[in-house]
Amino acid sequence: MSIREDLIERCARKRDQKVGPLSKEAFAELTLAVRENPAGFADEAAEQALLVLADALDSHRAAARDDDLLDDDAFAAERSKRLRRLVEACEAACALDAGCLDALLVHALAEDLEPDELTLRLVGLAAEFDSAEEASADLWDDPLNRPRLRLRAAIARTCIDAARFSLARNGARRVVDATLAAGDPLGARHTLMLACARLEDEDGLNRAEALFSGRESAWSHLSRILLLYKLGRMSAARRALRGFDSLCAGGAYALLHPVYVDLYLPERPEVPACGFEEAVMAVREAEPIIADVPEFIGWCQGHEWLAASARSFAERNDLDW
Amino acid sequence: MAHDARREDYLRMSLRFALSLDEGSPDHAARAFASFGRRFAQSRDSLPQSDADRAFHLVSLATELLDYRLPFVGEELVEPLRARARGMLDEALALDPFCHDAARMRTGLDVASHEERLRLLMERADLVRSSCEKDRDALCELLEEPRRPLAASIAMRPWWRWLAETAECALICGRNHAALAAAEELMDADPSDLSDVRFTLAYTLVKLEDAPGLERLVWRYPTLGDTRADDAWILLSQAALAYKRLELDAARHLLGRLLEAYRGCGAALAQQVEIGDGFFARIRVPAYSEDELVVALSEGVVLLQEGVERTGKGVFGAWVAKTALELDPAAPKGPATKGAQRGASGQ
Repeated sequence: MSIREDLIERCARKRDQKVGPLSKEAFAELTLAVRENPAGFADEAAEQALLVLADALDSHRAAARDDDLLDDDAFAAERSKRLRRLVEACEAACALDAGCLDALLVHALAEDLEPDELTLRLVGLAAEFDSAEEASADLWDDPLNRPRLRLRAAIARTCIDAARFSLARNGARRVVDATLAAGDPLGARHTLMLACARLEDEDGLNRAEALFSGRESAWSHLSRILLLYKLGRMSAARRALRGFDSLCAGGAYALLHPVYVDLYLPERPEVPACGFEEAVMAVREAEPIIADVPEFIGWCQGHEWLAASARSFAERNDLDW
Repeated sequence: MAHDARREDYLRMSLRFALSLDEGSPDHAARAFASFGRRFAQSRDSLPQSDADRAFHLVSLATELLDYRLPFVGEELVEPLRARARGMLDEALALDPFCHDAARMRTGLDVASHEERLRLLMERADLVRSSCEKDRDALCELLEEPRRPLAASIAMRPWWRWLAETAECALICGRNHAALAAAEELMDADPSDLSDVRFTLAYTLVKLEDAPGLERLVWRYPTLGDTRADDAWILLSQAALAYKRLELDAARHLLGRLLEAYRGCGAALAQQVEIGDGFFARIRVPAYSEDELVVALSEGVVLLQEGVERTGKGVFGAWVAKTALELDPAAPKGPATKGAQRGASGQ
């Protein structure tokens, strides 16, 4: 769910309140019109700020398309230039609406801080913006709640990088609970599962999996392997590894040959479940947990079928091996 | 506290000596005991001893080499020294196939993989335990009541060291529940905690972010053999947990307490040098010395180097280094501390 979609929904709802209530069909038509010309409907500062941010994020993504052609130094320079432009756009958005939490979040992320500094920045934002809300599973319904939920999901992810796994687990669980009706659109369950694996919290991982049964992902598979490995249940861990390899396209390759993943601005890009991109993201997010089990990758490499699967994926897709 | 192979060698021999005297007259016993110390030092072979005692003596010699000399020798001496120690341990095992310390240290020398070592340690744990218990029961049957507690303790120590290494190995492997189980089993088996396994337990509880568990451990401290409550391990654990919980003021305060307990050791905190673990047991160092802090920090790598951090120090490690220099601005930033000279030439 992107910030642009939020903006469209907010503008449409506002217009509906002013002229409506509209019929379902008319509302759908209105939404289409907003999508065509958001500037025409963003008539208040809050929406105008969001529009600045949404445009900046789109051009940021578009500019990243040719990165593969650059060498390392050129890429680093290009990337930092791009992030600077994004920071400027966030500042412009905040000049329109000082309370544009999405812009503040993207601003903090785009500064590319160490996880520790980033955590403090984001927690500061949460202290400023979080409101006491009643326990509810459908907070996602209202687009006005989404920036806060997005911020909390980002904090939970950052806590994994900063090795604060209880905070990550609790924070991610809160987001999952608050957005359950919408099916956890922010993917906080992924963070929750990784944190449970690291804390060897089998009950926690079981509960999270049960809540989303039938929606396995690269994160859920990887979390299960790590948990079983850490608990010393090696034959079960091996079976889970086999499952990961057969159910996640390119999972073996992603695990044995980690691929660079850039910042999430401010959410994970939407990719197909259990596809290669997802495996790459899951491995990146699990990095602090994998590094904490120093012989885990060696154990993975020791399975010939896994290495063979990774190699053949690399050959099929013309990747380095 | 901590295990001392030389002292244990002496205690074993004195128990054996006492055993040989129990049959003679009290007068003779008193005279003979007066000469024990001198004979132990000068003509050890003239004293009564079993093959197990001889094997343990070799273990104590190998410990001197591996744990107290190896860390200080130059690169060219590392292999010859390890080879000599290996020879001693092999001889110990030839004398006494149940010399569990020798077997464990031999594995430490030859098996680089912590996972593999952990597997071996866990696989043979029950066997080692029952073997030690058998020795204990046999010995206690022969000895008079007042000597039994010491004899029982000495008989069980190889098992305690076995568990202590299991806990440490599991912690390094990232198998925190296994580390917890081994450490708790050892605390139950030896409530005075001669092995100082509470240090490993404290780190494990931080890894599991088990705040109530760490609090319970702190409460338990006064009941243990060594009652100081401000050793480097517990303070670093409390600081790490506070840090993980984003209680940064508390973490800073705890780091300040650590620096008060280990005066002038800001540089060690900033540098976080990694040294090898002891082969026999955690190496003996004076309480509150810089060396003790270095040992605690080196074992604390599992806490310090966690997370994604660009300098490679780890998230908590980078914070500790920065905060230590703020709290102790006089700390030299160069690498020339005693601790740093130990190098990483150990295990």
